[in-house]
Amino acid sequence: MTGQTPANTAPPKLELRKITKWFGSEGAGVCAVDDCSLEVQKGEFVCVVGPSGCGKSTLMTIGAGLEAPTEGGVFVDSRPAGPPGPTRSVVFQKFALFPSETVEQNIKFGLQMTGVSAREQESRLSEQLRIMGLEGFRKAYPNELSGGMQQRVAIARALVMRPEILLMDEPFGALDAQTRTILQEEVQRLHREKHYTVLFITHSVEEAVYLGDRVVVMTKRPGQIKKVIHLPRDVVWKTGDIERAAEHPEFIEFRREIWGLVREEIVGA
Amino acid sequence: MGRIDAIRIASGMGAIVAWILIWAWLTRPGGPVPTLYFPAPDDVWTKFVRMWVRPYIGSTLIEHILSSLYIVLFGWTVAAVVGIPLGIAMAWWTKLKWIVFPIFQLIRPVPPLAWIPLTILWLGIGDTARMSVVFIAALVPWLMNSMLAVYSVDKLLIDAGKALGASDRQILMRIVCRTALPTLVAGARMALGSAWSTLVAAEILAATAGLGYVAVNASQLLDTDVLLVAMFLIGILGISLTALITIAQRFLAPWSFADVRGTNR
Repeated sequence: MTGQTPANTAPPKLELRKITKWFGSEGAGVCAVDDCSLEVQKGEFVCVVGPSGCGKSTLMTIGAGLEAPTEGGVFVDSRPAGPPGPTRSVVFQKFALFPSETVEQNIKFGLQMTGVSAREQESRLSEQLRIMGLEGFRKAYPNELSGGMQQRVAIARALVMRPEILLMDEPFGALDAQTRTILQEEVQRLHREKHYTVLFITHSVEEAVYLGDRVVVMTKRPGQIKKVIHLPRDVVWKTGDIERAAEHPEFIEFRREIWGLVREEIVGA
Repeated sequence: MGRIDAIRIASGMGAIVAWILIWAWLTRPGGPVPTLYFPAPDDVWTKFVRMWVRPYIGSTLIEHILSSLYIVLFGWTVAAVVGIPLGIAMAWWTKLKWIVFPIFQLIRPVPPLAWIPLTILWLGIGDTARMSVVFIAALVPWLMNSMLAVYSVDKLLIDAGKALGASDRQILMRIVCRTALPTLVAGARMALGSAWSTLVAAEILAATAGLGYVAVNASQLLDTDVLLVAMFLIGILGISLTALITIAQRFLAPWSFADVRGTNR
């Protein structure tokens, strides 16, 4: 199939190796993730789908280094990933913008933390503001913006770091349907233009089929990897808008297959 | 908004005028309330004007006011200097909380006024004694609110900061302290309220000047009009101090007043 990731010899950009996560004490608490291994190649867009509470967000939090796995390890370019940092930028479902800072301060935050020069900060800021269509909102505070605009700011704040890996945790889950569609298309366009390496958590099968190069389906809790589906990459329907894509026979077939897998987990078959 | 504000202010003023008129009617010559117990508004006003120039129990009105303000602001400020960093530190470093909090929990239920006998014993009835009592009264809300302010910061923001490469110190200074600011301001307001009411009580028990001192002397001398002047001023100054803090919040944390325009959240 076109675009199917070949048996790759290059080390993966991001690798989650045999991750197990217990909340509370091991054996007595809750096992959120059970022995999950996941690789994201450079420039690849990997979507993780699964029923609610299956541990997919936990997997992302661990991938970002924000939480330590009970067992297993996280590797970037085959090296232990270490503490969280700007090589792995994160976009959260609830935006997580700093309420006391304006749009431009939010976007510049990471650059200031990592000692980027003031001139470089300014040029990267204006570039991101332009890309995300935020030019008129520089001085606004997050609570003056709609949810869609807030998530644009959060995406700009992640991208301005020029991360090697972008981790997105249900980034459009808190948005209304119209805003979500627009942002899905923008993320698709950004990925095609800039070839970001993305690990994208979602509960929307359509979103996964539209955005992903590969879709990882997880079982219900304790989350394990149920199946990995390779999607075609350089096909026409992925370059257009999502409404159009959703009418393509290939899209419908993938959606049916993946939704079937997720449904099995939800209804507990 | 402007028009609604204007209507609200106008109706508020109208209500005050109405209450003063009722007061004047009740205390008119030959009215139902004897002026020894409740003087007429014009008597109180005359006394108020005269007290600015003629000393009452040793000081003019402005001196009494400044004495009270000086002590309350001093005690409140020192309590802030101690309480804010300590509260934040206790919330940030759990071990420090383990050490300090038990003592604090023991001291907390003791009403600030219950410290007065001890402070009189140690420090006499000078300014220092009242400052100390005010300090204790203000410290508790300062410290508690500073702690709560840090706890109230969404953990997600700390994660976001970490993912953007901020160190623990940068997270504390730039994210936690700033985000916590509105809660800190609420603490400032509570601390000032507590300090003010405690001060007035402290002045009744141990002072040589101040509005509470004026009030208790006026009561003993049956100067009911002076007593009312003191009580009005205590109330008005209390409101003004609180209003100043709200104004300060507009400068310190403008974002906490920002309009919420977004609907699709």
